[in-house]
Amino acid sequence: MSKRETPLLPVSDAREAALFFVVGALCFLAALAALTTRGTYKAAEAWGAQIEGDITVVMRDTDRRTAEQAAERVTALASVFEARVLSREEVEALLEPSLGPGGMPDGLPVPMLMVVQADTSVGDPSPSIEGVLDDLSIDGDVAGNAGYAENVRGALGVLRLVALSIVALLSATAVAVIAFATHAALLARRDIVDVLHLSGAEDRYIAGLFERRFWILALQAGLGGSVAALMVTALIVFTGSGSAGVEAQLLPRLSLDFWDIVILLVTPLMAGLAARFAARLTVLASLKDTL
Amino acid sequence: MSRIRPDLSDEPAVRLDGVSLTYERTGEVLSEIDLVLKQGSFTFLTGPSGAGKSSLLKLMYLAHAPTRGGIRLFGRQTYDLKRKQLAALRRRIGVVFQEFRLLDHLTAFENVALPLRVAGQKPDSYENEVIDLLRWVGLGERIDTPTPSLSGGEQQRVSIARALINKPELLIADEPTGNVDPEMGQKILRLFAELNKRVGTTILIATHDLDLIREFDAPVLRLSDGLLARDTALGAAT
Ligand SMILES: Nc1ncnc2c1ncn2[C@@H]1O[C@H](COP(=O)(O)OP(=O)(O)OP(=O)(O)O)[C@@H](O)[C@H]1O
Ligand SMILES: [Mg+2]
Repeated sequence: MSKRETPLLPVSDAREAALFFVVGALCFLAALAALTTRGTYKAAEAWGAQIEGDITVVMRDTDRRTAEQAAERVTALASVFEARVLSREEVEALLEPSLGPGGMPDGLPVPMLMVVQADTSVGDPSPSIEGVLDDLSIDGDVAGNAGYAENVRGALGVLRLVALSIVALLSATAVAVIAFATHAALLARRDIVDVLHLSGAEDRYIAGLFERRFWILALQAGLGGSVAALMVTALIVFTGSGSAGVEAQLLPRLSLDFWDIVILLVTPLMAGLAARFAARLTVLASLKDTL
Repeated sequence: MSRIRPDLSDEPAVRLDGVSLTYERTGEVLSEIDLVLKQGSFTFLTGPSGAGKSSLLKLMYLAHAPTRGGIRLFGRQTYDLKRKQLAALRRRIGVVFQEFRLLDHLTAFENVALPLRVAGQKPDSYENEVIDLLRWVGLGERIDTPTPSLSGGEQQRVSIARALINKPELLIADEPTGNVDPEMGQKILRLFAELNKRVGTTILIATHDLDLIREFDAPVLRLSDGLLARDTALGAAT
């Protein structure tokens, strides 16, 4: 025999289909915003750390021997991974954009360039490098990227703020939409709510009916939105992974790791909780005025 | 079940003191009504259509608040009830609505079981009780039928079964025999009388059916122009 427990709130297809779509779309946007923000963040952070560790040393009026000597001593510093003097070809390649092809005129003095990979976690090696240059009586400049990296970090802070605002805005929209829908459902189902009341149902019980209804709806819609976001992300990862070079480095690096999966799972859960919360508040508030 | 104090047994089940009701659109429907229904009493309420019978009953089953005056149920003043107390009080009252108010998407069984269900009971615990009651009102063949497929009289019997399933201390019935044949009408009223005698259920029935009233030896209240009077011409004097 049947369970004889038909849900007390009848399903109203048209209205709930629209609501399903709206909540699903909100979750899709929220998940996508979270995923791309995380991707951009990861890429920018890696890039920032990299340029921060890059130090260029220009040495004038020096022969290659002395320069190599300096590089050796710089490499020996605790906060340096590696130091290397660029070959003449490498320097020419670097200068090509300003001098044109064909290399440097032979008589021109070419500065020696040393690139240093610093371990910034230990400390800024610039003063020590300058010390090495002084020791060897080399006239040179040490140019780091610390200031530039600072800018990147500042931009990341803004990015994080923007992403959080987007997610907060989408959540608030979801709550408002559900509250609105609950109110509409409550009005449309006034007859049922009245009979339940007169049959001795407590407000909590009636709120529970709406809570359960919208919790399940939002959970399903949120899952749909998440799956759509997952598919879009997968598409970007697959089509984007082919391109290499600078653009690939600067584009948000989307990949699906553990935390991305967490985001995709948490999004529908948040939507469901927001829906419960909105439904409960709306029902309890509007029942308060009835007898 | 939670009970609301005080519940002194000599307190009347219903007591109205100077109760008036004014609807926004229609104006004053009830004026200065004083009324006492003792516990275990059986009373008819009659009067012309539009006199305010249903409105008076609505005040008693707490669907409306009076514009003026006080209503006490089981000795408890009702104007200052907390939400939970309101629900608890309503569970002690069974109501047969004039317009049935069945839930269309539920079956006869589920409609009858509603008061038990909202009180948190599970179908296993009330299944037999509900089926017995449905059989008794002649709906043994319609247990799992959705209520919109039932005739008017059948729907009325479902609503009567729903009012009784909770074993209420106070039964308020608004035209409970309006849609059934005289035979079924008598059967229903005899059940009410039996409940009244055996269990001591306080019963108030609003009806137009004077023939039915004559068959029972019970006081009759007459409502007209918003005023209440005890009618001695009808029914046996008490
Ligand atoms: N919710 C309401 N809002 C406004 N006016 C109402 C409302 N309910 C009832 N009335 C009016 O109050 C008056 C009394 O109505 P009520 O239903 O109490 O009469 P009744 O005695 O039960 O009539 P009947 O015998 O036809 O059932 C009527 O004039 C009706 O139009
Ligand atoms: Mg009426």
